[in-house]
Amino acid sequence: MSNFRIAGKGRVNRSRQLRFSFDGVDYTGYEGDTLASALLANGVHLVGRSFKYHRPRGILTAGSEEPNALVGSNRGNGRFEPNTRATVLEVFEGLKTESQNRWPSLTRDIGAVNDALYMLFSAGFYYKTFMWPKSFWDKVYEPVIRNAAGLGKAPTAPDPDSYASRFAHCDVLVVGGGAAGLAAALEAGRSGASVILCDEQSEIGGSLLAEPTAEINGQLAWDWLEDTNAALAAMPNVTVLPRTTAIGYYHQNFVGLCQRLTDHLRIVPDGAPRERMWKVRAKQVVLAQGAIEKPLVFAGNDRPGVMLAGAARTYLNRYGVKVGNWVVAVTSHDSAWHAAFDLAKAGVEVAAIVDVRGTVPTQLVAAADALRIRTLIGWTVTGTKGRLRVSSVRVNPVGPGGKVGGAETIACDTLLMSGGWTPSIHLFSHTQGSLTWNEDGQMFLPGRGKEECRLAGAGKGRFGLKAAFEDGAAAGSAAAADAGFAAQPAAYHVEGELSFTGVTGHELPTDRDPGHAKAFVDFQNDVMAKDIRLAVREGFKSIEHIKRYTTNGMATDQGKLSNINGLAVASDALKRPIPAVGLTTFRPPYTPTSFGTFAGYNKGALFEVTRKTPIDGWAEENGAVYEPVSLWRRAWYFPQVGEDMHAAVARECKAVRTSVGMFDASTLGKIEIVGPDAAEFMNRMYTNAWTKLAPGRCRYGLLLGEDGFIRDDGVIGRLAQDRFHVTTTTGGAARVLGMMEDYLQTEWPDLKVWLTSTTEQWSVIALQGPNARKLIEPFVEGIDLSEGAFPHMAVATGKICGVPTRLFRVSFTGELGFEINVPARYGRAVWEKLFEAGQRFGITPYGTETMHVLRAEKGYIIVGQDTDGTLTPDDAGLSWAVGKTKPDFVGKRSLSRPDMLAANRKQLVGLLTSDPKTVLEEGAQIVLDPNQPVPMDMVGHVTSSYWSAELGRSIAFAVIQGGRSLQGKTVHVPMPDKVHSATITGMVFVDPENTRLSA
Amino acid sequence: MLLANHPLLGKTITGDTASKLTIRAAEDVARFSLRIDPVAVQAAGAAFGTPLPTRIGGVVEAGGRMALQLGPDEWVLTAPVAESDAIADAFAALGETHSLVDIGHREVGILVEGEAAALALRSAIAFDVEAMAVGTGCRTLFDKAQIVLIREDKNRFRIEVWRSFADHVWGILHAVSREIALGL
Amino acid sequence: MLLIRCPYCEAERPEVEFTYAGEAHIARPADPSALSDDEWRDFLFIRTNPRGRHFERWRHMHGCGRFFNAVRDTVTDKFSMTYKAGAPRPSDEEIALASSATADSAASVKDARP
Ligand SMILES: [Zn+2]
Repeated sequence: MSNFRIAGKGRVNRSRQLRFSFDGVDYTGYEGDTLASALLANGVHLVGRSFKYHRPRGILTAGSEEPNALVGSNRGNGRFEPNTRATVLEVFEGLKTESQNRWPSLTRDIGAVNDALYMLFSAGFYYKTFMWPKSFWDKVYEPVIRNAAGLGKAPTAPDPDSYASRFAHCDVLVVGGGAAGLAAALEAGRSGASVILCDEQSEIGGSLLAEPTAEINGQLAWDWLEDTNAALAAMPNVTVLPRTTAIGYYHQNFVGLCQRLTDHLRIVPDGAPRERMWKVRAKQVVLAQGAIEKPLVFAGNDRPGVMLAGAARTYLNRYGVKVGNWVVAVTSHDSAWHAAFDLAKAGVEVAAIVDVRGTVPTQLVAAADALRIRTLIGWTVTGTKGRLRVSSVRVNPVGPGGKVGGAETIACDTLLMSGGWTPSIHLFSHTQGSLTWNEDGQMFLPGRGKEECRLAGAGKGRFGLKAAFEDGAAAGSAAAADAGFAAQPAAYHVEGELSFTGVTGHELPTDRDPGHAKAFVDFQNDVMAKDIRLAVREGFKSIEHIKRYTTNGMATDQGKLSNINGLAVASDALKRPIPAVGLTTFRPPYTPTSFGTFAGYNKGALFEVTRKTPIDGWAEENGAVYEPVSLWRRAWYFPQVGEDMHAAVARECKAVRTSVGMFDASTLGKIEIVGPDAAEFMNRMYTNAWTKLAPGRCRYGLLLGEDGFIRDDGVIGRLAQDRFHVTTTTGGAARVLGMMEDYLQTEWPDLKVWLTSTTEQWSVIALQGPNARKLIEPFVEGIDLSEGAFPHMAVATGKICGVPTRLFRVSFTGELGFEINVPARYGRAVWEKLFEAGQRFGITPYGTETMHVLRAEKGYIIVGQDTDGTLTPDDAGLSWAVGKTKPDFVGKRSLSRPDMLAANRKQLVGLLTSDPKTVLEEGAQIVLDPNQPVPMDMVGHVTSSYWSAELGRSIAFAVIQGGRSLQGKTVHVPMPDKVHSATITGMVFVDPENTRLSA
Repeated sequence: MLLANHPLLGKTITGDTASKLTIRAAEDVARFSLRIDPVAVQAAGAAFGTPLPTRIGGVVEAGGRMALQLGPDEWVLTAPVAESDAIADAFAALGETHSLVDIGHREVGILVEGEAAALALRSAIAFDVEAMAVGTGCRTLFDKAQIVLIREDKNRFRIEVWRSFADHVWGILHAVSREIALGL
Repeated sequence: MLLIRCPYCEAERPEVEFTYAGEAHIARPADPSALSDDEWRDFLFIRTNPRGRHFERWRHMHGCGRFFNAVRDTVTDKFSMTYKAGAPRPSDEEIALASSATADSAASVKDARP
């Protein structure tokens, strides 16, 4: 294994050697290495296979824009992540990584046959190949595509990591910690403004980390950087966040930052989150994100060993790694010359610099001559060779009129390329700020912004260190000033500035058929120049359509590397200038971001709020099985040893019908309505009449929407002339209160009445069954429970078990029943006391399933189960609850709209199956004629269906067109096993005379 | 009297050794939601025995009683549990039209104290907690739970949250206190 | 996440504290029974759904609890102004004044040209 590390170069910590593995081979690196720099130090260029053609690919960049070097990274204990970019993955002791998209191995990959079949995979191949026959979709295309598509393997185990989030408000947010960002942060920090500086890399410094020889204000760059970092750290108003990527920029300067907290640590402390999403609201934002180097487009530009020149320079100067021994550079920009010079000075053989420009700055040629580097000015590159690593490059002179001359082959193990630099304007684009085309620099630059935002440095096309510092300082002080802090930008003196001129190359000229050149524009999505030309030939003119047809710039690239090159090719093919072709939209996130970071704390038990009643703990200790009801978890049933749900529910039902059962009804919504106009407000909201309801009495209330459809219902008690205790469905509580507030505040602000949610003030224990009164009598003070004094639908306040209660004589089961409201903190104690005292009656706790069965036996509906937002009171058989003489109530006018009076509306009815043992499926469709051809005419569906132990048979509710007029008729219910028949009936199955209510 | 209980009874989270952060369940208090036309606020203050704040967010505290204005005609009143009946009686005698509803059991209090208190709350509160004035309060969201937040002191906040949401708030504060203890 | 100024709290608060409540200035008829079916249909279902300036209702649900009105541009999402429920629909001049006041104090459009 070769060693490509160069003594005395770079910033990695040579005293901290780290072992890691790639594809099962052990390597060593140093603290401060990325996986990419460490692999290159070991001479490894081949790191993956491409997406479509499975072409061997190497490391192209040294940053988060990397399209090729995507690996699976394993941090142990189930912590596996696919598609980690090797160029940002920090090496730590014991890191395990693997290549992707290859089988059986990276060097011998079967899928590479796609490369030979590349004509099949041209632009739009998805659309062309898989058009027909239709039946092939399910059987062939889908499974094949599923197998072949995608890069990397998604982990199958649950993510063991935790994630965090944090809101932050600051005066100035600076994105990017290079020269411009540091200068901006310094100015804003010195002004006293609160500042957040974030940078995606592990170290703050940006391009300065690869510029050790530049001098800033008389200091070497790295010394200046150290002092500056110290100065920022000493400012209490400045927060510096390395390893933190600004991923999205939203309205009103709201910026999402993803901070990587522990991925780089070998040992992660218990409870330490992996990543944190910062949600920053900044008064002012400075974007100093720098620029991304563009590849050149020529045949064979994707071979391992072909790398961006700036990346090679970074590997050398920052990591002390030479990327090869024998290097050729091809460029349209000065910057690759400097990379070649630095490599040559470090002892690397630079065989040639090929510059496609006709003229280059003379000092560059002179410097090359001094280093004895051959220069080929006005030449082009027309191909590369080498199976798993570039071994030679084919170069040709370009004569007058663009005529490409005879080829020469130059051997090399690394080919550096540079097509100039693209300002990183992604975040600015997120704000929908306009962009303008800069013809001189062949780049898009920010135009008018829509946010309180400035750009600085290379990210705004101001290339070079001095320009970046001064532009950053100006932006930082101006931002601080706009945030209300006086600042005067400092001047910067820079020595050792590099020349920085160049042109944006279009696809390089070639003497070969460009229709066969594998000249890649988008490395990640395997899009070649000829794919874009093909798309144009096939009629695609909009760049947005070309993007989707070819997949250029899709997925994680988001145009970082591919955009301008793709545009240039499209522009040539369309014979329109680049700005006329336009630019595709950059979308957040700027770089791939884990789902965990978006979820933050909301995973596991904190995924969603789980509301528990005061009695929930007792239910848990007593073996309850739970079901979720809106955000609540409710006891569903209480199985005893050996019981299944069916047996438990049958037992619970029987206990209520024969003795007494107890039920936790605390989740019922409760609203206290208070004020002199309380009854008037109730009259206007509910369908029923409330004026004459006496204090101490209850009434069933039905609430409609203005459209006339049932929204909610519940029992409402009048506690005093000016005070109602309203109950709502469990799921409807917040909605009903919101609706009431809306009417009260905006339609009837003159009413003197107020609404207060008391859902959680009260614990509610429903005691139901013939022995209910006997059970509670000894515990109740201040309320005469006798039938005459406290009849069905009465309410009174008093005490139970020594604590205050609002006692309701109500029944949702058809049995004698009470709902005992006690202040929530006493709920469990009262429950336990009654449970203990109820033992002599065989008291039985029951859950929501039994509650459902019991109410269905009595024909009581559940809003939201038996209604679905399209049922009127009449549809539901609740006309009796509508106050016909009331002049108005919410929804009344809609009840007389023609559609609401149609004869064939779906109406709620009872259903009894012909086979009493059959329990229909809720939601099953209903037909009148089972022998009609498919698709059948469906006249309704089953809304509720249960086994009734009391009746020894199944019962059901259904909505059926004109159902009430079809009483006694047989309907049919197709279910997976067979078509069942059933008879339409009334809805009350048990005790139709309501004798038990007053038992 | 029966035993009272609530989801956070007796719970405490002690942060790192430097005690930058302590989170604990607050003592039970009596709580009322008072709704009254703001023109009658003086009479209401007289009934409560402590003048009521007159701008949204305002808090007045005296003699163990606290009033916070949450909306144009909405105040939350708290007092020692033993004074609950006396407050109800006083408002019953108030001549002005109003609504007083006992919400003492609806909510639980959580105290977040220490140098890192605001930082801990920033985990799940979207508005600028650091800039919240001492002696003010407001309704807001903590993650997905509605709370009332009161800044009692620079480094002491009180959260009032409906009891069934308390576990959720507590769970996040627990995770956050760990991050803060680790210095992450 | 937007910042929305609540006209009751007189403060800018985060969007999560608010809920949207549909188009503004659609009063419930005082006597619905006097309306024809078509008139009632229009009240129930017909909305302007404009591209651009929209008068709409919001509620400071997790704050002071009040419903209020806002003028928002449905293209840019920018709020020009908010005002209390019951206040009349603001005039063009009032809206222009309110939006220029916010724009001036914050210099909302900056020239980001290099
Ligand atoms: Zn408000």
